[in-house]
Amino acid sequence: MTVDVPAIIVSGVVLASLYAMMATGLALVWNTLGIFNFAHGIFMTLGAYIAWTISDEAGLGWGLAGGFAIAVATMIGGGLATYGLLVKPFQNRKDIVLVVVMTTLAGSFFLENTGRLIWGPRLKQLQRVVEGTVQPLGVSISAHELVIIISTPLILLALYAFLRWTRTGSAIRAIAQNQDSALLIGINVPRLYALSFALSAGLAGLAGALLGGIRFIVPNMGSEPLLKAFIVVIFGGLGSLGGTIVGAYVIGLIESTSTYFVGIYWTNAVMFAIFIFILIFRPTGLFGRN
Amino acid sequence: MADVLVVENVVKTFGALRAVDGVSLSVREGEVFGVAGPNGSGKSTLFNIITGIPFHADSGRILFDGTPIERMPPHAICRAGIARTFQTETDFETLSLFDNVKLGTVYGHARGMSEEEQRRVTRETLEFVGLGGDHDRPAGDISVFDKKRLMIASALATKPRLLLLDEPASGLTRPEIRETSALIRRLSETGVTIVLIEHVLPLLLTVSNRLMVLNFGQVLTEGHPKEVVKNEQVIEAYLGKRGDHGRDAA
Repeated sequence: MTVDVPAIIVSGVVLASLYAMMATGLALVWNTLGIFNFAHGIFMTLGAYIAWTISDEAGLGWGLAGGFAIAVATMIGGGLATYGLLVKPFQNRKDIVLVVVMTTLAGSFFLENTGRLIWGPRLKQLQRVVEGTVQPLGVSISAHELVIIISTPLILLALYAFLRWTRTGSAIRAIAQNQDSALLIGINVPRLYALSFALSAGLAGLAGALLGGIRFIVPNMGSEPLLKAFIVVIFGGLGSLGGTIVGAYVIGLIESTSTYFVGIYWTNAVMFAIFIFILIFRPTGLFGRN
Repeated sequence: MADVLVVENVVKTFGALRAVDGVSLSVREGEVFGVAGPNGSGKSTLFNIITGIPFHADSGRILFDGTPIERMPPHAICRAGIARTFQTETDFETLSLFDNVKLGTVYGHARGMSEEEQRRVTRETLEFVGLGGDHDRPAGDISVFDKKRLMIASALATKPRLLLLDEPASGLTRPEIRETSALIRRLSETGVTIVLIEHVLPLLLTVSNRLMVLNFGQVLTEGHPKEVVKNEQVIEAYLGKRGDHGRDAA
């Protein structure tokens, strides 16, 4: 049997790009606020639906650029609202981690079903950013997928630059390390919490709009990427944004390799087996801090 | 001299425990105001409710320069001119000493400074507290004494008028305590008003202008440090046997 390595790599990198975008947002909120946002997947779904409604001829027909922009902007607003309604009221509770699992899960179900009511059960698909096919490494993929492969590192690089070199970014990193000290030196912590949530939701919305061009948009389309994003964040190492990004590419490649050899139905089982095996030897993940 | 900080009848309860139970005090401009008391007497809780980190008082008033601050968010209190240090080291471990302190200049009171000015103030502040040498070391790699001084530098970088120091000498060796004592004096000479919580009594007695003793969340007594330590109630509640001015065993 000949193994089609380029095909495995290319399809792995497409998956990895989406996971990286989802997981980075999830990790940003975890690192800054110390909570996991279970509504992160629904931001992706809504991003796709909103981009479709704005851009598609069956919707408003304002074009794809408008669709993407409004989807991301709405999700930024959605992130702020989610933080304000589902997280902030519980911020001073000792059991906040657990409470927020429940509030964000509840919010996620609520929004998923609201989406079902608004957009109905029919499958939808977004127009592609670029039509046609390309052949990187001799593997034929859609040009849209190539856009995803190229734009993801650029977006993540922009996020890195923001966190590393801007005043606000360094304050977010400071909060991630020590919330009390951040308050002590005059950093407006609640405002930056809200900002982290907004950034994270915006990224998920963008990921959704991009995914909507290669997969059907359905009300639960965010569930699986969310699950994968959780795996990526834990696998890459809690507290390390770089680890999350590396983790996303490793998980994406494991998934494509496993799909190639054992088929799509066994892939999740294989991936979890590898995931658990690695955590036995590195409980903090690839780049996690104790 | 004018009162910089006035605390009136503040109360903070945790369930049935009245951690701070009707404490009132006033701190005059430029003085070093010492706060002593056994463990659990409410000293740190008092600092917490003054700065709003991590909680405010249940009731009572806190005035800073005559302005009520008891409901202000913590970052606003900091920008108004109150800075504090914590009992345990709190710094940004992966950031360098320089970046730790620079964040204070960026976010604290000194807004609107140019980048160059921020860098200069950061360097001067680090040198003022005695942290010379390599400012690019990560804060996670330095000694406890250096961390304590780094915390003071970060607080100073916000240009406070009132500095609350929570046990700056705990866990330090005798020579380090002497240096801390000298640092507090130098700080006081710059005109900043200081409230100092400390278990190390010789330090409290040498640097404080006035001393207050808390017990079970209430003010036991207040006055000149030398007088306060002779007070029978204080000796009973806190100092153990008479004349024991060494390190507190509590």
